[in-house]
Amino acid sequence: MSPSLQTARVKVLFFGRVKEIVGHAEDSVELPDGAPIEALFSHYGANHPELRRFRASLAASRNQEFAAWSTPLHSGDEVAFLPPVSGG
Amino acid sequence: MNKSLQPDLLLLVRDPIDHAALIQHVRAAEDGAIVTFDGCVRNHSHGRRTLYLDYEAYESMALGKIREIAAQIHEKFPIHLMSMAHRLGRLEIGETSVFIAVSSAHRPAAFEACRFAIDTLKRTVPIWKKEYFVDGAVWAEGEMPPAPLETCAAKPAS
Repeated sequence: MSPSLQTARVKVLFFGRVKEIVGHAEDSVELPDGAPIEALFSHYGANHPELRRFRASLAASRNQEFAAWSTPLHSGDEVAFLPPVSGG
Repeated sequence: MNKSLQPDLLLLVRDPIDHAALIQHVRAAEDGAIVTFDGCVRNHSHGRRTLYLDYEAYESMALGKIREIAAQIHEKFPIHLMSMAHRLGRLEIGETSVFIAVSSAHRPAAFEACRFAIDTLKRTVPIWKKEYFVDGAVWAEGEMPPAPLETCAAKPAS
């Protein structure tokens, strides 16, 4: 991640197919304060090309609410990349 | 009636769902109807024979979304009480994965609210099922939740 005056540490959670691709359920990442969710996704996409194929079908959440990919992140935020839901 | 005080029973569970307890929870002297939905594990999917399912959830968010569904149905329909439980982990064929009970003074509201609750759960609650077959396993094709408005970008949400 590019250097910035302020950094933010966020918790990232993975579920379902995304968890299988990334290989773990949880991560903690430091990124420039205010960076969008999209930038966080790119960080994982760079390491897991398979993940990028699913981008169009994923939803993002910030602090347990669905969030736009442009949502800026700050320290303490909890982010998840959610595959299409299939409960019921 | 103050809906924030509605004592709905909303649960994520790992043990078998207790249908009777969920129905009993919504039963009241002033209600003439209880409508229930029992979602159970089917033995086939897309022409393949299913062995069992494994459900996982983003539990804190899933409970939050289930609470939102409860708040919505109290707002939309003149119902009295609701209970909803979704089970997680491995489920065998025929077992209940989700159970909903809704009570109301008159039946139309309970029918409509119950239908709304299961349809909304399937679109918005972060729960996923993996289907196991004799020759492998796949994550069930799910539904995309309604997209939030992008603040600076491409796709305006309608």
